[in-house]
Amino acid sequence: MDWLSYSEPLLEGAWITAQIAVMSTLVGAVASFALGMGRLARNRALSMFCIAVIELFRGTSLLVQLFWLYFALPVFGQILGLDLRLPPVMAGVLALGLNIGAYGAEVVRGAIQAVPRSQHEAAKALDFTPRQIMWRIALPQAIPEMMPSFSNLAVQNLKDTALVSLIGLGDMAFRAEQIRNFTQDSTTVYTLLLFMYFGMALVLMALMKTMERAVGRWRATARI
Amino acid sequence: MSPTLRSHTPQRLLAAAAISMLAFCGTAQAATLDQIRQSGTVRIAVANEIPYGYMDLKGQARGAGPDVAAQIMKDLGVKKIEWVTTSFDALIPGLQADRYDMVAAEMAILPQRCQQVLFSEPNSSYGEGLLVPKGNPKHLTSYESLAKANDKVAIMAGADQLEMMHALGVPDSSIVTISNNADAISAVTTGRADAYAATGLTVAQLASKNGKVESAKPFTDPVIQGTPARSWGGFAFSKNSSDLRDAVNTELAKFKKTPGWSRIMIGYGFTDNDGRQSMAKTTEQLCSK
Repeated sequence: MDWLSYSEPLLEGAWITAQIAVMSTLVGAVASFALGMGRLARNRALSMFCIAVIELFRGTSLLVQLFWLYFALPVFGQILGLDLRLPPVMAGVLALGLNIGAYGAEVVRGAIQAVPRSQHEAAKALDFTPRQIMWRIALPQAIPEMMPSFSNLAVQNLKDTALVSLIGLGDMAFRAEQIRNFTQDSTTVYTLLLFMYFGMALVLMALMKTMERAVGRWRATARI
Repeated sequence: MSPTLRSHTPQRLLAAAAISMLAFCGTAQAATLDQIRQSGTVRIAVANEIPYGYMDLKGQARGAGPDVAAQIMKDLGVKKIEWVTTSFDALIPGLQADRYDMVAAEMAILPQRCQQVLFSEPNSSYGEGLLVPKGNPKHLTSYESLAKANDKVAIMAGADQLEMMHALGVPDSSIVTISNNADAISAVTTGRADAYAATGLTVAQLASKNGKVESAKPFTDPVIQGTPARSWGGFAFSKNSSDLRDAVNTELAKFKKTPGWSRIMIGYGFTDNDGRQSMAKTTEQLCSK
């Protein structure tokens, strides 16, 4: 069977896809909290900066961001006399991570703001500092609320990794293009590709579900 | 790192991210010949175009460009070649962004490309072709015939067939852009385009892969501004890699005199005439055309 000979290059690509998906999801998670909480900061300059970054990455095409980091930034660096050639993996992870982080930041902000005002007031009355209120009162309640949206974003991010094939990274989509170019067998190659992304997404969804349970454990008794 | 983490301020986190991002950028500049010889590694790009330069299923670079480039690098004493595959229209931007040292895609040497990159002397020469559905229902036999009828023609993004079509007066509305050769067969068989314009070798290779398409016959080479269109393909380099280009030129000239070179070219379907033609013009002539 033909498709057996495709599986080896495709699996090599799947490994790259998995690595990029994990790394960019981690970058995205850090960016989500940094930008989302930065946006709520009382320091006006900081919150404006975070808003600007969020809107920039949400409001421009991910593909263009990738191309910009990969093709335009090095030329920009040459003009400034700097070496700004990010390795392809770096450019891919950064663009994917910051893009998904910008969406995630709004999830973080929304969940934190959804913690009832009265809780803040009660904490203040008990002489909690603003930092303690954030870390001890608001976030533990907000994080479980963020998880369903984060699961969505993580799966979205996995599928977006296909775009890195366009900057020459040997991920699953890239390998598929290569096989297709070599064999002209579009139907088999793309069908296999669909199933492979679906399989990876299933694993990711299961992982996120486990994490969702873990961060929501403290309120399990309250719910019964 | 621990004080930074404990303070939990987003400013510090962002600063740390920015610093680590800068740390990841290497310090190397566009590699010179000496640097390549010293490190023993050269980065060469191909576009997925059979038979000019492509990757086989094992990830091995093949084609007229890569095979000759590999021999030249061996003669230059460069041990390792890192092959990079990109789409055809990303080849020149990648050179400019210093993503690789050399392009071995048998890219046609054209005046406007000469302004952006350096070319070696021609390695190959090839004519044009037209991929049509089996039986050639629209009786297309030349690029000129496309200009007359209102037929749709597919062209690969970044390929020089676009300039030929423009010179022959084919309107933009009749041109369908595809991103690589793998899309050509589906574009032609599904009727998204009536024909695919590419070099003769590409067309012959695609026609051999699928029974629903064929190469248009008899095919008349397009005549553009009084001369029949023929392309000369060479290796491309970044503007500041002239020493690498000169070294490749020296080895290429030597290698083209050996039977080893002819074997490679004939093995990929180039004809004896293509071989003779490849010696007929210099890059200087082609750049100033």
